[in-house]
Amino acid sequence: MESSKNGRESNEEISEKDENILSFLDSMDTYLTLMDSLSSTLRQGWLELASARHSMGASRINSTLLDLKFHRASTTLQVNEQSAGPDRELPHFTLRKWASSNNPEKNFEEAKFGEDELLKIKSNSLRRRDTSQSSEIQARSPESVGTPVSVDDLAQRERSKSLSMFGTLVSPKLRASQVSFETGTVATLFI
Amino acid sequence: MANRVPIRTTSSALIAMIADEDTITGFLLAGVGNVDLRRTTNYLIVDSKTTVKQIEDAFKEFTTREDIAIVLISQYVANMIRFLVDSYNKPIPAILEIPSKDHPYDPAHDSVLSRVKYLFSTESVASGRR
Repeated sequence: MESSKNGRESNEEISEKDENILSFLDSMDTYLTLMDSLSSTLRQGWLELASARHSMGASRINSTLLDLKFHRASTTLQVNEQSAGPDRELPHFTLRKWASSNNPEKNFEEAKFGEDELLKIKSNSLRRRDTSQSSEIQARSPESVGTPVSVDDLAQRERSKSLSMFGTLVSPKLRASQVSFETGTVATLFI
Repeated sequence: MANRVPIRTTSSALIAMIADEDTITGFLLAGVGNVDLRRTTNYLIVDSKTTVKQIEDAFKEFTTREDIAIVLISQYVANMIRFLVDSYNKPIPAILEIPSKDHPYDPAHDSVLSRVKYLFSTESVASGRR
């Protein structure tokens, strides 16, 4: 009786381990798929950047033009803890795109006013060294707090600000490249 | 409980980058670039003149700064400081190896997949011994 009970328990342990291994392999498959997706997005971005450089001239798009004056990043991350078990916590990233970088206090108010504008994409971190977690991705649609038009204008203003380091009139390819790299930034968070 | 590493929470963390000029330019267009009052940036452009020491110093700096949550590093650059990248084991900032324009993504050199491969090879060795 006892040996059959022990046998049943070991079978349960084995099936639980098999499930963990399958889940782990699924995570690895997801990781490779996302890396492939990131590669193609970045490739598109590089191609568009090269096209923009070809049309605008190499002197108008290079690293010497990068803005070295004080400025805050428009795209930042919010990092929180998320419980993944009794003794374990994982970092939880939230991407905040195109927040105003000029005035932090105003930024905070606008973030409250226009928190709906910032598309928040939440994912679990995959970069824990045990790589045993799968990622869940949620995209939360914005809550309407303020007028959508002014909030979109804010994002467009920040986009234009980023483009302005390469001049006032820029190639549409450069704008397309900006969109590709924005998508790439989101993809890195998914990974 | 004693071995738990506390996760550093922050509301506006940065994404740091160590990559080639085009990749950095692209991500800067996406609004990721940050320059503080001391003109310290959250990115390092790697070109033919960049030394391994500079890359190592930048990696160490970005992984110890409290305002950085993710470090993006081109895979070919990570290969130059492979020992440093593989020995890094903190959850924040998270390290992600990305492909570069001239060096496509190679799964054989990815540190995450290398660890998976090692894990399975160890397990297979262990099961063989039973």
